[in-house]
Amino acid sequence: MASVREISAGQKPFKRAYVAMFLWFTGRAIQAAAKADDQVKKEFQSLPEDFTFSLGCLPAGPWMVVGKKNGIVKYLGGTPPEKQHVRLAIKNLDAGFLILSFQESTALATTRNRLVTDGEVPYALAVIRILDIVEVYLLPKIIASLAVKRYPKNWSIFRKLKGRIAIYSRALLGI
Amino acid sequence: MKLESLLSFTCPVKINSGNKALEGLPFELTGLDATKPLILTSSKETGPKAIKTLLGAFGDSKMTFGLFDGIDEAGDLGLIEYLKNLYLKNRYDALIALGGRATDAAKVLNVAVSQKMADARLFASEPPIDKPLGPLVVVISAGATGLETTSWAHFGNRVYRSEYLAPSLAVIDPRLAVCRDAAAIACSGLAAFGRAVEAHGALPENPFRRAYSFAALRFLCENLPAAVSNPSHRNAALAVANAAAMSGCAFADGGNTTLHKLGQAFSGTGHVSAGEIMAMALPHILEDYKKTGGFDLAGLLHPLADDNTFAKTPENDRADAAIGMVNRLIADLQNIAGKALPRTLQETGIPGYLLEDILEALDADPDGARLYSIAQRMKDGVPSDAKKG
Repeated sequence: MASVREISAGQKPFKRAYVAMFLWFTGRAIQAAAKADDQVKKEFQSLPEDFTFSLGCLPAGPWMVVGKKNGIVKYLGGTPPEKQHVRLAIKNLDAGFLILSFQESTALATTRNRLVTDGEVPYALAVIRILDIVEVYLLPKIIASLAVKRYPKNWSIFRKLKGRIAIYSRALLGI
Repeated sequence: MKLESLLSFTCPVKINSGNKALEGLPFELTGLDATKPLILTSSKETGPKAIKTLLGAFGDSKMTFGLFDGIDEAGDLGLIEYLKNLYLKNRYDALIALGGRATDAAKVLNVAVSQKMADARLFASEPPIDKPLGPLVVVISAGATGLETTSWAHFGNRVYRSEYLAPSLAVIDPRLAVCRDAAAIACSGLAAFGRAVEAHGALPENPFRRAYSFAALRFLCENLPAAVSNPSHRNAALAVANAAAMSGCAFADGGNTTLHKLGQAFSGTGHVSAGEIMAMALPHILEDYKKTGGFDLAGLLHPLADDNTFAKTPENDRADAAIGMVNRLIADLQNIAGKALPRTLQETGIPGYLLEDILEALDADPDGARLYSIAQRMKDGVPSDAKKG
């Protein structure tokens, strides 16, 4: 009679590294966009003073944590705090890879039940709007169109160019 | 649609279907309060690639699990006793079944471990299953029997039925739905088709059951021929697997139908696929229903045909049109699959002595006269009335 083999789940180092790198850079880009873009600034102003949110993959990360203190938005690293206003959790690393490599937009992934949201829905929607704006800045139009629900049509070239330079340089320098 | 004054419907199965659905398993198991599952499978039935895909889905979950790759056709309760002892000793807390054969074994094992039976070999004489069981996840693979999502378990020659036997979750992933064997997909689809037809036309009408059977029949009519002619067609194979799951949900709520009984009798004793037998028996059964009534043949046309054809067909002609469509679909599949899908009992190669055993067993059933008559017509190769015309 065959016997039972005890197996430990394997690793997915490439996908994990990609998702971690993407979240790290996006976290810094959100911090930069809160200073460089008026729309993002306005979204954060409408959120509570000590607002914190995280985005990452279950069960073991990686995560991106962004918070607001004294009106300043900061990327807080990759360790989610115990208390936060919104937690956007992707159910598994593979789903995270699908979303963050733009094979599936956030909206499509949500309809396919790949995301779990903990917290108030209006706050979560504000976070999604912020993420969409940041992705439009960070990515070329052809890729950003896959990542966001609707690519903004009314943005001037000046806004995009100025925003991209500011956000990329601030994100790379961490300021 | 008539609304009965009293109706009930139970389908406790959650179904996750689609691209990378398997990767959601660790999350779903957490939701079921399970951290260390035991996977039951048979690489002879599903192939080693399917097992590798399932194990890969746990990547990065930090889980530990057991894998038993030795479920055979014998249906021996001694195996259940062996697995029960291992399950309890190694403190597993959930069961995952990959493939149809493993599903039946997992359902029986789930009763043994959840009720902490002293000796699972005596299961046949145990009291009925009347309490919720532990978490059971079913991963539907190519060649699904359609019984995975039901509250039935066929293990050896024993049949168990309880709503608690139904799995907590069924996962359908396109990577496991495709295969190279056209006959396996055809049999799986035909078994699902037969059960969905019987569930859809069964009286009294039940709108909840019909929701499942309608979708299953539409999926099969639109995708089964494509899946049989090209078994690696991902979307068609996924649709067939989904239809199999849905037909199981529709069937679970109905009774032990004539077609199902015939399919199980031949597959259990004659070791042929239930789908092959159902394809041979269905035209005879529908002809019988046409003569005796008690079955909504006219209502069957809507899921089988498109909306326009259904609307254009006069109400009195719908029953004949539905029978014609069923016969055409079966004939088309038999043409596409060729010799891989037998058309007569002779072509299945069941030895005469086994055939006699099956006929005897059918005759002993409470619905024996009817079952025997249909099986006899299949044996004698009598074409159904519609085919004669």
